[in-house]
Amino acid sequence: MPPTVRSQSQHIKDEVTLSVDDLWVTYLARRGTVKAVRGVSFDLRLGETLAFIGESGCGKTTLGLALIRLLPKTAKIERGTITYTRNGMPTRVLEMDAEALRNFRWKECAMIFQGAQNAFNPVLRVRDQVWDTARAHGEGNTTRARDRMLELFRLVSLDPDRVMNSYPHELSGGMRQRVLLALGLLLDPQLIILDEPTTALDILTQRSVIEVLRNLRQQIDFSLIMISHDLSLAAELADRVGTMYAGGLVEVADVYDTYYHPYHPYTIGLIRAVPTLSGARRDLISIPGSPPDLIDPPAGCAFHPRCPYATARCREQQPVLVTVDLNHQVACWNWQVVIADSGALLVMQAEKE
Amino acid sequence: MSAILELVNLERSFRVGRHTVYAVDDVSFAVNEGEVVCLVGESGCGKTTTGKMAVGLLRPTGGEVRFKGQDIWKMNAADFRKYRQAAQIIHQDPYSSLNPTQAIVDIISAPLLRHGVAHNRLAARALSAELLRRVDLTPPEDLLDKYPHQLSGGQRQRVSVARALTVNPSFIMADEAVSMLDVSIRVSLLKMLARFRTEMGMTYLFITHDLAVARFFAWDGRIAVMYLGRVVEIGPTPRLIGQPQHPYTKALLSAIPEADPQATRTKERVQLRSMDVPSLSNVPPGCAFHPRCPLFEPGVCNKTVPQLTAIGEGVQIACHVVVRDQSAAAGATREVTHGA
Repeated sequence: MPPTVRSQSQHIKDEVTLSVDDLWVTYLARRGTVKAVRGVSFDLRLGETLAFIGESGCGKTTLGLALIRLLPKTAKIERGTITYTRNGMPTRVLEMDAEALRNFRWKECAMIFQGAQNAFNPVLRVRDQVWDTARAHGEGNTTRARDRMLELFRLVSLDPDRVMNSYPHELSGGMRQRVLLALGLLLDPQLIILDEPTTALDILTQRSVIEVLRNLRQQIDFSLIMISHDLSLAAELADRVGTMYAGGLVEVADVYDTYYHPYHPYTIGLIRAVPTLSGARRDLISIPGSPPDLIDPPAGCAFHPRCPYATARCREQQPVLVTVDLNHQVACWNWQVVIADSGALLVMQAEKE
Repeated sequence: MSAILELVNLERSFRVGRHTVYAVDDVSFAVNEGEVVCLVGESGCGKTTTGKMAVGLLRPTGGEVRFKGQDIWKMNAADFRKYRQAAQIIHQDPYSSLNPTQAIVDIISAPLLRHGVAHNRLAARALSAELLRRVDLTPPEDLLDKYPHQLSGGQRQRVSVARALTVNPSFIMADEAVSMLDVSIRVSLLKMLARFRTEMGMTYLFITHDLAVARFFAWDGRIAVMYLGRVVEIGPTPRLIGQPQHPYTKALLSAIPEADPQATRTKERVQLRSMDVPSLSNVPPGCAFHPRCPLFEPGVCNKTVPQLTAIGEGVQIACHVVVRDQSAAAGATREVTHGA
């Protein structure tokens, strides 16, 4: 790998910012209990970008919402711990009371939602919305808040004075998304969660947002969690990638390993299903079947009904994430078999379709 | 190969308040029999409007849509009906394009009965089952009496395809047909659509914003890139992706993030002069791309609108600077050969 490409991982510190252990989230639905997040555990280090990829309904947005406890009323965190650490001071997110939670959100952990660029108050200037945020979170000094914001606008390549005095409708989608990024950083949080940050944007605008994110990462120390169904976005920005399937993490690995040497059959299928622009035109494969019903997920490994490598053990026992390589965890009983034939069974299965 | 569909100087304007907005302006290209042409571009570039005019859903305000050589808006009623059967549509959103109150069998039977392909409900049911099998929804008996909400997104989109196939079309316009689907389902649908080309000689006008999908689906076809209502480049897929000629195509290709960390992080980017996308109600004079174009030459690009010009190997581009430089280079080569 050329050193220029890897350089961003130099920003990663040893300190763990967020530690999630065995998190379970359920939704109460008319048909029964939807097990949306099933036993997710991961560590996020300071300065690191972790991307969660997976298809719709795999629980990635629910996971993001659970991290800052913004789940709807029908949801319940059944089990698990979320530990957030700043300057060596660990706090348990799930045990916080309302006041502590209010302080935690935005000051410690900011989340930018899918399509939030359309959620600005249309009748207030950007300036006033910035000020509202600052004041609501205990910043009483207008000049200080303003100076910080101007500096952040410069960091996200916006013309600070123009943007401050604009109404949201005067800004393009990409500009609004960048205003949001700056606004998210206003109170100096250590963790930012982005849910589908570029999904609604055009290609050229998306590129500018990606570049801005990359610059921000180099200039400010914060950890980033990115939730996206778009595998190319994770390829652009992530240090590590977590692949989710049916509410569980099936593989967590360094971004290069995820794309070039995935171990889990589902990750292999997902990566090989996405067409690329450069390189030879490779044959794409599809994964037959569809994701399971999370009210009544299959016993054992949730992927077994679609997996050509499934054995009796997969149908009975649920595999857990185990570290199999440096910075590479996988939840699959047969990962060695899968690597041994480099996913050839998946290709055969797709051809039979 | 003969052209099945020809768009000739196609233009469509809309009145927005006091202004007239040209969503599509002077678009001309042909789709040959059995060919795939992908129309790509960013939102608002007029690709959907062009697609709608190609299947007769929208009447152009200028220019012609010719199907098998005949202007569709000058056809008599019987011919127009035949054209409508021959040209079918697959919509983007399988959630809203199927009637939620009708069972799958009714959705597919309706056109069969309407166009007299089947003469009674029983025959229509049998044919519907056959069509579901064609789109790999097996066994069809399980699905015929279900309602759209009982199906997954991928299954629903297959039902839309089955519905389009009811009247034996020779041409399908698919507008972002796979963009709502999850990646693992997307591929099998694209492969199925590709299979219809060999099985029944289907012709496609495939509209997408995703160039990687276009590259995969139209590998042996062509891609047309639109910008603010005009086609700026059209050419054979491998050539257009591999050696883009128009500065906009270059910018677009260099900006697209790819699902390959190494490639996407080291790719060379084209720097644009401005990130502002001009509004359709205020299209810049001359070449609409000139305020952002890295090759901009004052006095040339902002004066006249560049026309699509053939530059060899089946590629046509609309750019003053590139066309001029290429012909100068070609002229130089000619002189060298002549001198030798």
